[in-house]
Amino acid sequence: MFDNRISERRTMTNEIKIRAEGVDVYYGDNHAIKDVSVDISDKMVTAFIGPSGCGKSTFLRCINRMNDTVASARVDGTILLDGEDIYDKRVDPVQLRARVGMVFQKPNPFPKSIYDNVAYGPKIHGMAKNRAELDEIVEKALKRAALWGEVKDRLAAPGTGLSGGQQQRLCIARAVATEPEVLLMDEPCSALDPIATAQVEELIDELRQDYSVVIVTHSMQQAARVSQRTAFFHLGHLVEFDETDRIFTNPTDPRTESYISGRIG
Amino acid sequence: MTDFGATGSHPHELRRGRSLFDLDDRTRRRNRSEGAFRWLGIGAIALSMVFIVILLGTIVARGLPAFTQTTITIEVPLDAAVLDPNGTGDPEVIRSVLTFGYAPLIERGLAGTVAATGVETELTSSQLPQLLSPGVAATLRDMVAADPSLVGQTVQVEALASGRADGYLKGRVTRESLARDTNLSPAHLDVLDALVEQDLARRAFNWDFILGADASESRPEEAGIGVAMIGSFYMMLTVLLLALPIGVAASIYLEEFAPQNRLTDLIEVNISNLAAVPSIVFGILGLAAFIQFAHLPQSAPLVGGLVLTLMTLPTIIISTRAALKAVPPSIRDAALGVGASKMQSVFHHVLPLAMPGILTGLIIGLAQALGETAPLLLIGMVGFIASNPPDGFIDGFVSPNSAMPAQIYEWAKRADPAYYERAWGGIIVLLLFLLVMNVLAVLLRRRFERRW
Ligand SMILES: Nc1ncnc2c1ncn2[C@@H]1O[C@H](COP(=O)(O)OP(=O)(O)O)[C@@H](O)[C@H]1O
Ligand SMILES: [Mg+2]
Repeated sequence: MFDNRISERRTMTNEIKIRAEGVDVYYGDNHAIKDVSVDISDKMVTAFIGPSGCGKSTFLRCINRMNDTVASARVDGTILLDGEDIYDKRVDPVQLRARVGMVFQKPNPFPKSIYDNVAYGPKIHGMAKNRAELDEIVEKALKRAALWGEVKDRLAAPGTGLSGGQQQRLCIARAVATEPEVLLMDEPCSALDPIATAQVEELIDELRQDYSVVIVTHSMQQAARVSQRTAFFHLGHLVEFDETDRIFTNPTDPRTESYISGRIG
Repeated sequence: MTDFGATGSHPHELRRGRSLFDLDDRTRRRNRSEGAFRWLGIGAIALSMVFIVILLGTIVARGLPAFTQTTITIEVPLDAAVLDPNGTGDPEVIRSVLTFGYAPLIERGLAGTVAATGVETELTSSQLPQLLSPGVAATLRDMVAADPSLVGQTVQVEALASGRADGYLKGRVTRESLARDTNLSPAHLDVLDALVEQDLARRAFNWDFILGADASESRPEEAGIGVAMIGSFYMMLTVLLLALPIGVAASIYLEEFAPQNRLTDLIEVNISNLAAVPSIVFGILGLAAFIQFAHLPQSAPLVGGLVLTLMTLPTIIISTRAALKAVPPSIRDAALGVGASKMQSVFHHVLPLAMPGILTGLIIGLAQALGETAPLLLIGMVGFIASNPPDGFIDGFVSPNSAMPAQIYEWAKRADPAYYERAWGGIIVLLLFLLVMNVLAVLLRRRFERRW
């Protein structure tokens, strides 16, 4: 049903947006991420794949310091965003998260109106001087998330009343409304049906024009369809990181090969 | 348990080839026990309904009479010779007449009224006033003091009947029960019957019971719960103003910000334990801390409110934390994910969602505090005769007062059966307040839950 056409249209800039060096993550005594180093390029979709429990989400959440909210989590190593260490003492994680947006596995709109969902981020960051500007931001974000046409007549309706796929696109709109530079997506399609998944995937490919997108997925087809680079995680190790085509056609590590051919996971 | 018991042969073999209409033993047994369980549940509910009906029936039957009071219409000659012997017409002189001076006037007025009914009685005119409340003289004096020009006229007064006379109209006092009573004789009742017949003595709704102040032991007919109600109001206000912000702030801190360590665990355990501490313990703590140490006034609603705040805080904290915990973590993630700070995520998203639960907990806590008597015992609010309403808002917090449950307890202790009736009446008022609070809790919950 799907082909690899999306990933053919790649724009290979090799500007590095995020550089992780020797990252280790511990949950108490559980060593969840083991010495992971990876470079994530700008304006490109990077996919994290691997069997469940291998640490994909954990590593993703390191990039915007969401792991700070987990009391037992400890992160070692450095992660640079545009060359600056995000774990530096002087960095305020709240400010970081405004630049590194996140979309979660389960659609989690606020129990507020569609408009308020999207407007929330811009509001708290003071991005609009008045209501008209805010309206504009909301409209732009909803259009970017390919949701505008479906909701423009009911912006005051509750965001929780939308269908699952619409909710997830609303969450994407909410994330892009704050104009982040990096968009992290943790299995954004796992709760969606195939049609909604296709819509979100198309969206991700469009977002690549403006953002550096990192997507965690358990679906290898999805990684193949939307990403230019793929990282394969296994038991907390980054086993292989390469161009998506290479990973799927000609992996170097035997573990990668057995995973993509369905023997692990 | 029994469902897993071995039957000896494989059930699926027994099942095979059997008609669906033919229930096997196992199914029949299961249905029987399910039926029995259902009946057990219905029985339990029916039993509790019966108890509630009995309880409410008793309260209403015994307390309702307190809401009506008997008055006797008399014509009192405000004799100038008694009230203003020198004919000065000076209001100051007239006001200086003691209530004692009004007694003969009332006696004369009542005798005249009784004579007008034409009833034969062996009672002398000095015995007749036992039908009236001793408080009538004071009422009359207040009336004249307010309008000295009444002196010299004959005024019609709705005089409060005495507790015994009122009890006769309510069926509490009978001729037999008066046999050993020195306050009233059966002859008085004959007079009373005649007065009732001519509609000069009648029962009317008793606003003074709801709005009035407590009275001395010998004048139950004058006693009201109003001032104690004001005391309760000021205590509730204190509890609301202190327990809500402190409780919610503590809960938010513990639930959303505090690190998980030994210390917070200890605090948590202690809060749960405090919720189970008997209320009288908070009373003695209040006595020591607020009255003996901080020298706050005794019997003051402020102190009562402080004690009840201590008592209510654990309840509020526990329910608020439960409400906060019930908010899905995904909402917090969502807020943090768009770059909200912890505090923004709590105040913009978590707290509004937890509001219905917080309000429910708050109102349950307030209702608990409203009905609490034991801690008030130790700070002097029980047994205080709340005979004067406070003068002004601030005074309401510090001037000595009672509280509704304390007032009820006080009345129940007094010897006169008329007070016993008032105690039941007070219970009705208290229950009405609790009912209103519960309805309020439900309405607020609905109102806040409507935000999807
Ligand atoms: N909040 C947490 N607290 C403790 N351990 C966690 C937590 N989240 C994840 N882990 C552990 O970290 C490891 C990696 O989990 P995760 O990153 O969620 O894997 P994935 O997303 O690849 O399925 C697992 O062993 C998991 O049990
Ligand atoms: Mg995951």
